[in-house]
Amino acid sequence: MTDVAAVSRQERADDRRATARTGVQRLAMALFGWLVFLGIWTWGSSQFSGTVLPTPKTVALEMWSIVASGRFFSNFGWSLLKTVLGFVVAVLFGAPIGYLMGRSRYWRAFFHDGVTVSGTIPGLTYAVMALIIFGISMEGPVLAVALVSMPYIAINVAEGIRGVDQDLIKMSHAFGRSPRQIRRDVLVPSIVPFVFAGVRLAFAIAWKVEALTEVFGGRNGVGFEIRRSYQLFSIPGVLAWMFLFIAFMLLVERLLLLRLENRVLGWRPTER
Amino acid sequence: MSVEEPIGTRATLPTATPGPDTAGPTGATQGRWLTSDVGARVTSFAAGLLLWAVLGAVFDRIPGPVDAAVNLWQEFGRGEVFGNFATTLVRFFAGVAIAAVIGITAGLLVGWSKLWRAALSDIVLVGLSIPAVIWAFLTVMWFGLGWQAPFTATVLAATPFVAVNVSKGVTGISRDLRDMSRAYEVPLRRRIRDLALPAVTGYIVTGVRFGMIIGWNAVLLSEWFGSSSGVGFRARYWYDANRFGGFAAWVVLFIAFIVALDRLVLERLSRRAFAWRDTEVRTDDV
Repeated sequence: MTDVAAVSRQERADDRRATARTGVQRLAMALFGWLVFLGIWTWGSSQFSGTVLPTPKTVALEMWSIVASGRFFSNFGWSLLKTVLGFVVAVLFGAPIGYLMGRSRYWRAFFHDGVTVSGTIPGLTYAVMALIIFGISMEGPVLAVALVSMPYIAINVAEGIRGVDQDLIKMSHAFGRSPRQIRRDVLVPSIVPFVFAGVRLAFAIAWKVEALTEVFGGRNGVGFEIRRSYQLFSIPGVLAWMFLFIAFMLLVERLLLLRLENRVLGWRPTER
Repeated sequence: MSVEEPIGTRATLPTATPGPDTAGPTGATQGRWLTSDVGARVTSFAAGLLLWAVLGAVFDRIPGPVDAAVNLWQEFGRGEVFGNFATTLVRFFAGVAIAAVIGITAGLLVGWSKLWRAALSDIVLVGLSIPAVIWAFLTVMWFGLGWQAPFTATVLAATPFVAVNVSKGVTGISRDLRDMSRAYEVPLRRRIRDLALPAVTGYIVTGVRFGMIIGWNAVLLSEWFGSSSGVGFRARYWYDANRFGGFAAWVVLFIAFIVALDRLVLERLSRRAFAWRDTEVRTDDV
């Protein structure tokens, strides 16, 4: 008995050590990949003049000065605010559309083309349309984010509705629950995960279109700063904002949205 | 068997056409055309057009559909459409071709070898999150007003999308089948032809498809900001002249081109390339 336990403990320790070893290995490889990338970049910038391809060090210093001057937080704050507002609008309009699409075959066919085609439309269209409608403003990026992310939310809500456990609804009917109660306690909880999935799917695309709209017509935000660096013909500036943009996007995606999803949906059983 | 979904930029409905529905109008069995699927889609198109017309009529900054159509007609009359499209399409397709070559190579490496996966996957991830406008700005600053900027912007924007999808296809090859074919000493040629190629082809098509959708935006942006020819340049010309009708005409062309390419060519190719898999999954599920 004790032998078996000792062996299994030994095995488990081995397993853990093995996964740790592959983890370290993977990290080393990724680090190696980045070093090679930085090496190629440094070599490239030595081939051209510094203004064409600045060295990684120049870009890193530029990034640091952007963060230190506080422009990082103020601009990303504005961009994030516009994105969130756009998502709110998208949920307000997209969720009812998704509800209709999930409930009736007619509305599903009605919205089918619009929803599937919208992802193909180039972002330039949304950006300039928002600029034409609102001019240089706060509302332009919000509109663009809303338009881009609405289809994702609609589709996911529709899938959520179609995936609702019909037995639960039948049971609620059998126990004499009112339609309002069924909506609140059965439909909404089973749809919320799909709304989250839609938001998370849409975030990467919406975030890019938000920046693009600011490039065309913004008074503040990441896109506006990228545009300004471009107009100053500052390649280090564009590269610095680009890396900050990527870092921020991955951070929001990995940490914020995933955490929020886990917290809000903590009641769900883990395997789905 | 787990099936990896392709990574892309667009929302996709799991079923291309609306399936049987439990909550649908069950009484409408009379075959009334208006409530049929085709009827619904035609109605939605008409409703969209109507909405556009109303917006155009209410806000004088927004060009209406009639304004756009008239401008489109005039633009065809001036002979600006075909020449500019030819210029842009050469840059676009050349860029997509190079992106496909680089992306497929990178995707195969990332999918096949652990070393390459560790080294490249972060860089591909970063590449996926760079917005096309950054590539447009950088290439314009690097190359100036020539064909090189839009071409390079297309390559840079499209490559990560090809690579990530191809690598997914390679990692999705059934390990059991691979081990089994090794155990039974199936010749390498047959292993490639019957196991690897069918599994990866669909992902290559999907990757190139998403690459084209992303690349189209990149080529337009690059021409918009720094080119003296091409469709993006022409759209900007009208925008700068404050003639939004002419701009709207070009937007209609931009959307029509990419939607037609996607719907009529790429989606069909993709469906055909995935056909073996989807039928297999369906029989598995049932």
